[in-house]
Amino acid sequence: MKKMIVLFLVLAVMVIVPVMESAFAAGDEPGKYLDRRVIIWNLFFKMMTVAFVVGAVVSGTIIWQCWRFRESNPKAKPTPYEGTDWSN
Amino acid sequence: MSGHSSWPEWIYVGVVIALMVWVGAEAWNAERLVDHIPEDAEVIKVTGQQWFWSFEHEDGTKEIGELHVETGKAYKFEITSKDVNHSFNIHDYVVLMDAVPGRVNTVWFAPTEVGEHDIQCREYCGLIHYNMRGKLYVEEPSS
Repeated sequence: MKKMIVLFLVLAVMVIVPVMESAFAAGDEPGKYLDRRVIIWNLFFKMMTVAFVVGAVVSGTIIWQCWRFRESNPKAKPTPYEGTDWSN
Repeated sequence: MSGHSSWPEWIYVGVVIALMVWVGAEAWNAERLVDHIPEDAEVIKVTGQQWFWSFEHEDGTKEIGELHVETGKAYKFEITSKDVNHSFNIHDYVVLMDAVPGRVNTVWFAPTEVGEHDIQCREYCGLIHYNMRGKLYVEEPSS
């Protein structure tokens, strides 16, 4: 567990530090000519990509769980939580 | 909890946090880029009123219902209203900013190609709102 916490702390620092650096640096440089249509479309495209991937993973996981743990699955075995005495 | 491994949950939590941080950073960066006005942007004062748009260039030139700009330049719109709330919109260039009485809102753009584009009001502002339109003429640089 300690290793996991350390790992996540390291990962968090790796993500957060660059974001903080660019956040504090913002505004120092002069604005550049850019096409706002391109910036906005790129952002939309990235966000939609993330949204569809996350949506697919989450719904896929739920569908798999429903299939794997259905009552009629031959592999389904009652756990102690459900009780193993089926005679009554 | 005994007999229960929680590492998949920690990975799930980590992935969710990483995604949210990334999405937030990307959105923040795009907003910063779009809001960041170039130093040499030419100021155009935009005034909305029922039911037309008027424009005033830096050199004092005034236009009503139409706006002439040049490619290769950046323009900063200083937008206000004389009566009710309007919203200044150049759809083709994704320019959209509210025109509010007593307040100056800014938005900028840099046209890239010669052409004609519609200007319209995007905030319902009364009976003739539907026809509160203008024309943007993007021309070759004069000098």
